[in-house]
Amino acid sequence: MEAFKAVFWSFFGVRKKSEYDKDAKSLTPQAVIAAGLVSALVFVLAIFGIVKLVTR
Amino acid sequence: MSAASPAHDTHHDDHAHAHPTGLKRWLFTTNHKDIGTLYLWFALAMFFTGGVMALLIRAELFQPGLQFVNPEFFNSLTTVHGLVMVFGAIMPAWVGFANWLIPMQIGAADMAFPRMNNWSFWLVVPAAILLVASFFVPGGAAASGWTLYPPLIIQQGISIDMTILAVHILGASSIMGSINIITTILNLRAPGMTLMKMPLFVWTWLITAYLLIAVMPVLAGAVTMLLTDRHFGTSFFNAAGGGDPTMFMHIFWFFGHPEVYIMILPAFGVVSAIIPAFARKPLFGYASMVYATASIAILSFIVWGHHMFTVGMPAAGNLFFMYATMLIAVPTGVKVFNWIATMWQGSMTFETPMLFSIGFICLFTIGGFSGLVLAVTPVDITIHNTYYVVAHFHYVLVSGALFSLFAGAYFWLPKFTGKMYNESLGKLHFWLSVIGFNIAFFPQHFLGLAGMPRRIPDYALQFAEWNMWSSIGAFIFGFSQLLFLYNVIECIRSSRKAADNPWEGADTLEWTHLPSPAPYHSFETAPVVK
Ligand code: HEM
Ligand SMILES: [Cu+2]
Repeated sequence: MEAFKAVFWSFFGVRKKSEYDKDAKSLTPQAVIAAGLVSALVFVLAIFGIVKLVTR
Repeated sequence: MSAASPAHDTHHDDHAHAHPTGLKRWLFTTNHKDIGTLYLWFALAMFFTGGVMALLIRAELFQPGLQFVNPEFFNSLTTVHGLVMVFGAIMPAWVGFANWLIPMQIGAADMAFPRMNNWSFWLVVPAAILLVASFFVPGGAAASGWTLYPPLIIQQGISIDMTILAVHILGASSIMGSINIITTILNLRAPGMTLMKMPLFVWTWLITAYLLIAVMPVLAGAVTMLLTDRHFGTSFFNAAGGGDPTMFMHIFWFFGHPEVYIMILPAFGVVSAIIPAFARKPLFGYASMVYATASIAILSFIVWGHHMFTVGMPAAGNLFFMYATMLIAVPTGVKVFNWIATMWQGSMTFETPMLFSIGFICLFTIGGFSGLVLAVTPVDITIHNTYYVVAHFHYVLVSGALFSLFAGAYFWLPKFTGKMYNESLGKLHFWLSVIGFNIAFFPQHFLGLAGMPRRIPDYALQFAEWNMWSSIGAFIFGFSQLLFLYNVIECIRSSRKAADNPWEGADTLEWTHLPSPAPYHSFETAPVVK
């Protein structure tokens, strides 16, 4: 979950220093990469959903 | 840390450790600095080769009508200009910087696979020869555009096969280079150099290397299918045989869009090194810069359709690529804000590397905005394949990738050569480049909006005025690049010794721990990073 939060904020490129320090301690690269790929999939499906909605 | 440490002299039978001189030194070298130097000089040579083609193009377009070249040759010029600049100039130049800087910035003695490193470099030379030599074979060089679209590409002669072979070789070289870079970064970091302490240039190259490994095989597959369509009776892209030319476009752009980020991510790294050094403030938002780079890299795989809005995808497909493309601009925009925030209230000075970096920020942003305009499907349908697109990608590639290459060259020349370059000449090079570049490419926005198609040797009279200006600007820009060549040679020959750290604000290992010039072997014992 923490990994997903980090990935989400990284998309906007902003992260509080204190939050980042927490990430740096608790997150492993594996978790971040997995969260990143899953988020990318969610991102694709979300856009796809919106597209389906507006072309209905 | 000297060139001939006692440990080495005992290995007389081992060729990798002897230091041949002259031609042999360069042919057999496994030293990351030598190989970096080879890449950089090669890239500069290809930059001038591609530049001559560009000036021929602009000379022909100075006036309407045909003056200097015939239409077939014109098409070859635009095609090979694109291929040479992308694969021969920008990409090898970044690999050159990677070779020089990555080991020094992470405190490693060399790259992880020094012999493979040598092979990666010497592969790009025959590829370049193939590309240039294809001008002299029957039928002339490839004339399909750098995107190599069928069916045009199926019809031409042997030069296409030479181009395909060149692309294969370059792809193999890039993949080996990437494996080398990834292994070096992941395994050879000095004690204490954690991932999140690495300079951003190292981070951006790590991500770039993964992108290269992911997409170069895709390009290799695409051109292999072209090859079998041409010679072995397959019909991957031939509608008459049940194939589909639009499939080539999908495959090519699945490679092509990540490829444009391959050319720009290391630029982000260089600018992120230079702006803090000359603003004398740490980079704003280091961690978010790393994360944003990773986001951009992943998202770059889902936007390729924005190059294909006019080929007749379903409306839902067009909309998907439009939304996705506009969203990818968010992390890119954030980076620009981070650089500006870094400069905010800094004590700035404007030496040449800083000038080129600020030029990068301003002009790259214009390119990003014209990208957003093109990302709007209905807009793109009217200006696709016009000069507007040409303007867009020259703003991101010339004032983006190339300007940051110049910024990096001026920034690290003192470390590479041990000499200081001539500051006034550097500034002159910058100003002539900015002025020439904008005169050459800003009017191309107008030409595109007015409907002038790209890749044509002749045009309707209403386009004459701005084409004249564009050609004038291109010649100013082109000839001022000779000043860069002169600057580099003058710097190497001069007697102005550079300090170990000539830039007050630079704080990465190559400045803080190594003399100028950097010794042939550096960090044989790894430094300890706190
Ligand atoms: C904000 C980010 C960007 C957006 C929204 C964007 C959007 C686009 C779109 C929609 C096109 C297709 C235009 C057409 O053919 O009708 C395009 C073409 C192109 N873009 Fe970008 N772009 C962006 C950044 C970049 C960057 C960073 C680079 C390279 C460093 C780049 C290089 C190119 C190239 C080379 C082409 C032309 C390919 C060709 O047809 O020959 N773009 N861009
Ligand atoms: Cu693209």
